[in-house]
Amino acid sequence: MNSDTILIIDSIRKSFVRNIVNIRGKDEDEKFYVLEDIDLILPAGKITALIGGNGTGKTTLFNIISGFFKADEGKIEFKPNGSLIELTNLSAYKRAQLGIGRMFQDNHIFQNMTVLENMLVADENFFGERPFQSIIYYRKNNNVEKERIEKAEKIFIDLFGEDNPFLNMKNEKAKNLSYGQQRLLGLARLLMGNYKLLLLDEPTSGVNPVIIEKIKAIINYFVENKNMTVFLIEHNMKFVLDVADFCHFMSKGIIAVSGTPEDIIGNPDVRKTYLGI
Amino acid sequence: MINIYIILTTSTNLLVGMTNLLSLGQAALYGIGAYLAVLAMMVLNLSFIPTLIFVIIGTSLLSLLIAYPSLRLRGDYFVLATLGFQLIVFTILYNWVDVTRGPYGIPGIPSPILFGDIVITGIIPYLILSSILAVGVVSLFFKLIYSPFGRALKAVRDDELSAEAIGRNVTALKIWAFVVSSGFIGISGLLYASYVSYIDPTSFNLDEAIFILSAVIIGGTGNIKGPIIGAVFVVILPELLRFVGLPDSVAANLRQIIYGLMIIILMRLRPQGLAGEYALR
Repeated sequence: MNSDTILIIDSIRKSFVRNIVNIRGKDEDEKFYVLEDIDLILPAGKITALIGGNGTGKTTLFNIISGFFKADEGKIEFKPNGSLIELTNLSAYKRAQLGIGRMFQDNHIFQNMTVLENMLVADENFFGERPFQSIIYYRKNNNVEKERIEKAEKIFIDLFGEDNPFLNMKNEKAKNLSYGQQRLLGLARLLMGNYKLLLLDEPTSGVNPVIIEKIKAIINYFVENKNMTVFLIEHNMKFVLDVADFCHFMSKGIIAVSGTPEDIIGNPDVRKTYLGI
Repeated sequence: MINIYIILTTSTNLLVGMTNLLSLGQAALYGIGAYLAVLAMMVLNLSFIPTLIFVIIGTSLLSLLIAYPSLRLRGDYFVLATLGFQLIVFTILYNWVDVTRGPYGIPGIPSPILFGDIVITGIIPYLILSSILAVGVVSLFFKLIYSPFGRALKAVRDDELSAEAIGRNVTALKIWAFVVSSGFIGISGLLYASYVSYIDPTSFNLDEAIFILSAVIIGGTGNIKGPIIGAVFVVILPELLRFVGLPDSVAANLRQIIYGLMIIILMRLRPQGLAGEYALR
């Protein structure tokens, strides 16, 4: 394995069961494979894009990497700090604690919590999240809390400048933010954790060009300033061309083509089956 | 009774309003608290403070019996599991006659004895004692709700998937919420047993569980004042109806109708309750 590798996906297969009505009109369960055989190596400190048509298994692969789905076969290994960790049997929250951050396709921010609370709750320091710690270690709790608030405010300033809507609305409920702002908050929240690898599922879907430019800048900030690795699913090919170092095209449950974004866009099969040109 | 219900609704709010766990097993835990209090006071001959500690720890531990298996369930399945727990506990309390005296109930529960020789008898001393405990419980919950623990619970309430994605052990947080809430519900059981001086299983049946939940929903969830207002409302309403001069048989039915109507109207117009912050989903 290359020393610059952060994730190794080895022969992953994943099936689901769907209910069909057979030719005699009876219900029966049918097993089908969404992921046939996925082998993938992610280089550390780079931005890798995963593209492909709807239903080809991209989000399923992300769910398997982040631990929300269990693969039928195969294994995943993660190398956050030099040593290799087998992820296969770890639950989702343990993978997050190890350094795998996830942003979902829908915003999935905490709507009934304030903008600031959305940041604080994602802090890598869990102190105070047990009832006795909250009640007994009051002073230490307070100091940790102050540090958390300073960290969150610094993230807002670093990403969005001194005068930004997140600082101005920090005590308002997150559901009062626009859809695009919620997306930016979800990205900013990732900086509260101690993540080495970020899985971003369609970060630009449903947002306007100005926000897309901001998202681009934030993703570059993750890699250049925070030494993170980014693995993203995206349908916006211009965005992929602008930000990604590598690209993989998924089709029928396998990685069909790999290369630079320019290689992928130039590939006749990709042009025909995915881009429709 | 207001103080007993304030403790019940405040504790239930930790589950319903802070963690989005709609539990129908609260009356069972209330009953467990009451019967454990009887065990401590009448069998083990403990005074009030050790009884209080015994009840808190005992109810919390027994709540794990339902917390551990059911908290892996979500939504309606969790509600059904807690309903099952409620029915099982009631059946045990009702039929285990050798221990609980079943439908005959347990009479002659002694008044609380503080510091060796201060016996709490009469309305006013009891009001002072129960108020001190209610204020203590509300203060603790205030601290918990506005602490990192409360914040993590709110994250679980709003979006379990996201909470897990940011590294939070959702099952452990739910278990903590359940155990802490149950411990404090045990205090209500102790106060009730020593206040009424007689308990029987019918005080802790499914009707009572729904009544507690109604108080929380009417008052509102997600903050401190909502459950308190709910508790005050459900305890004072029967007194108000009596004040109007309605016969008891009419007042009892009218009370149920008013609670039912309140819930329907609130769900339609103000799902966060009279003074709550969080609208139930």
